Amino acid sequence: MLQARPTFRSAPPAERLLWNPYMAGVVIGLVLLASFLVMGFGLGASGAITRLAVGAAHLVAPKTIEANAYFAQYVGPGKHVLDDWLVFEVLGVFLGGVLGAYSAGRMRLAVERGPNASLRKRFALALAGGLLMGIAARLARGCTSGEALTGGAALSLGSWVFMMAVFTGGYLVARLVRRQWR
Amino acid sequence: MTLPLFSHGAFGHAVGLLVGTLIGMGFGFALERAGFGRARNLVAQFYLTDMRVLKVMFSAIVTSLVGMALLSGIGLLDLSLITVPETFLWPQLVGGLILGAGFVVSGYCPGTAVVAIGSGNLDGGVALAGMLLGSLSFGFGFGPIESFYRSGAMDRVRLSGLLGVPVSVIAAAVVAMAIGAFVGAEKVERIFSARAGEPAPASSRRIRRGVFGGFAAVATLSLVALALPVAKGSAPVRSAGRLDAVTLARQLVEAPQNLWLLDLRPPEVASRGTLPGAIVMPPEDTNTSIVEALSPTRKLVVYGQSDLGALPQGVERFGGEIAVLAGGYDAWKASILTAPLPPASPTPALVAEFRLKTALHSRFTGAAAAEPPKLETRPAAYGASTPPKGGGC
Repeated sequence: MLQARPTFRSAPPAERLLWNPYMAGVVIGLVLLASFLVMGFGLGASGAITRLAVGAAHLVAPKTIEANAYFAQYVGPGKHVLDDWLVFEVLGVFLGGVLGAYSAGRMRLAVERGPNASLRKRFALALAGGLLMGIAARLARGCTSGEALTGGAALSLGSWVFMMAVFTGGYLVARLVRRQWR
Repeated sequence: MTLPLFSHGAFGHAVGLLVGTLIGMGFGFALERAGFGRARNLVAQFYLTDMRVLKVMFSAIVTSLVGMALLSGIGLLDLSLITVPETFLWPQLVGGLILGAGFVVSGYCPGTAVVAIGSGNLDGGVALAGMLLGSLSFGFGFGPIESFYRSGAMDRVRLSGLLGVPVSVIAAAVVAMAIGAFVGAEKVERIFSARAGEPAPASSRRIRRGVFGGFAAVATLSLVALALPVAKGSAPVRSAGRLDAVTLARQLVEAPQNLWLLDLRPPEVASRGTLPGAIVMPPEDTNTSIVEALSPTRKLVVYGQSDLGALPQGVERFGGEIAVLAGGYDAWKASILTAPLPPASPTPALVAEFRLKTALHSRFTGAAAAEPPKLETRPAAYGASTPPKGGGC
């Protein structure tokens, strides 16, 4: 259950109710397959996040966003930035996450971090890493969901290159941020 | 061939959004149950103590891949209608490296950050805030990096097309590779968990046997399906790209010698007006020699009155690249043959778009005595050189 107040302590890993990773993979694979069979395309995440960002920025400064060579594909006459399949799919991901965490007794306000990481450092690194990913996902035209997982299953050459690069990038930088986690 | 449902017009946009929400819920629920709402379960991959990310990701890819290979093998799924992300080699390589770095620094990837927020992890929210800012930064810094962003373009290229083998052969190879990676990952986990003084994550023998055996069985079935007569038509998988009317019009002006245009409407409809230089071949026309005789060095652009559901069998015999005009002749009429309206709120991007459309409109309506690009239709001239079979994907 949701606790009354955030505790900000590093919670012990709750392994009890986690699915076996191979079985979880099969279930996600079946969801992805269903998406391909019903819609003709697969899953995604970063595209919806970009639309959310562009939508918010468009409320503040519509002229600037519409004049931008990259953002013009999302906004303009006859287009609504949130009227998009991926936006609704990611809304579903959020709802599914809530449902999963609640039904497994894992829903609580907390911050994931190692025993030696300060809260301030953890938030700073989460923001910095998110910033890098926001840029990288647009450069690569997708993230681990839309490119690596979906494009991987569709056998796209670029998606496989991307997937290998993600693992490489992670391993190269892991040592630098080890103290945040271990 | 009845799948995918949406491409065959089973339902519309609004129902599609509802389906998307439901599919997303399944995805989010399974990600949470896999443990991916918590950063430490994810980053353990990069410290080699728990390679859950690799196991989940590859099991998911393999499940979906062998499923599609089998369904297309028995003729239920039209693989050419499955969207393949476009390849832009260099930005995807660099983007992957940066995203991997961001992953281990923030603790989440974009989809799992959303699940983390749903399960109450505040760091997931901060990571998402970073992604929102990152998306905007990319757009505002787009100018100088635009040429890199478009570099290494290879269109919608599949590994199967690249290697010239059926999808089920690649699927079998991916299954073998994945099982090898799983066995290797479990060995690595045992070494590094012992070093970190943690218990190694273990999968029961029953689950491993069931999952690995299941993958191998479905992959084998999809290979067997290659021998089925029904599979013959779909074995060399074609991924027809889509072109919008404005892009096609530009290409027709810039390099008409690189295109074939094929009008799939009935001749009496086509006689009232086609795209300049189009060859008329009704979809039910079984005389495929027209298509086979066209030189595969050009791109074949096909269109109907409105959007084409599936490519007719005859068209698939074309040896080269195939593209579909999105929206068909109706879209051409609306975007090119109709005079464009000036934008209500003129921004530089909209004005540029308006100028382009006006130029294309006057070019193709023939108002300015411009000669429409002539595409010679001389099947006999190419009859001697048979187009390569099964390639061009």
